[in-house]
Amino acid sequence: MSKEKISCKEVMQHICNTLGEDLESERCLDIKKHLDECSGCKSYFKTVEITIDYYKKYNVEMPDGAHERLMKFLDLDDCD
Amino acid sequence: MNESELIHKAQNGNKKALAQLVKAYEQTIYNFAFKICRDKNKAEHIMQETFYSMVKSLHQFDGKSKLSTWLYRIVSNHCLMLARKMKNRPFVSLEDDDGLFENKYAADWSTLPYKNTENEELKEILDYAINKLSPEYRMIFLLRDVEGLSTEETAQATDLSVPAVKSRLHRARAFLRKELNEAFQR
Repeated sequence: MSKEKISCKEVMQHICNTLGEDLESERCLDIKKHLDECSGCKSYFKTVEITIDYYKKYNVEMPDGAHERLMKFLDLDDCD
Repeated sequence: MNESELIHKAQNGNKKALAQLVKAYEQTIYNFAFKICRDKNKAEHIMQETFYSMVKSLHQFDGKSKLSTWLYRIVSNHCLMLARKMKNRPFVSLEDDDGLFENKYAADWSTLPYKNTENEELKEILDYAINKLSPEYRMIFLLRDVEGLSTEETAQATDLSVPAVKSRLHRARAFLRKELNEAFQR
């Protein structure tokens, strides 16, 4: 374990910096340990994940006729 | 026929193969363009320009990256060009990240009524928050976190270094999370 004590702000920065990446450095292990014990950081971690998930699920369909207009624009409407 | 065969045929002038490639990616490109500009008409315009660029320069595609990464690069450029033309409002500055990582007065997200993003109120909150980010930050967040490109692919698609992508990404994540947290407290 590294000697310098981890602050919640550092953990939060780390979460935003490395979410989704598998990191096994000593500092990361310290941070994982901190996460297990700190409810504030744990909820922060969870809410960053939820934020990403909301944006991931927010999708839009192409409007009616957009495909046909695209093919015409590209002069590919005879290949459809 | 697999994608590389289609690309090869399209590069040799086969219009049907080209049409198939366009069809395979049009929804993805439209969706991405919409997420950047948050406007249906602009998104359709960007989609058309993106595929026009693709048709014009497909002969230069060397297969070193995925076709999707190459297309994300083109669509990202078109989105940025449009955003720069319309430079009429200031975006939030994320250069100073003090305050981005505060967890004070955290709303209780576990009791939020939003079970899915079909909820119009939630959509408004999401639109409002991401619209405050400059397109340069928005793009990195969307490519990496929403479209699922790797950090390296995101760097390729945006002509940025990997450290620059990481720096923008973690600020964008923290900013959006903070904005949502504030909106959920209201």
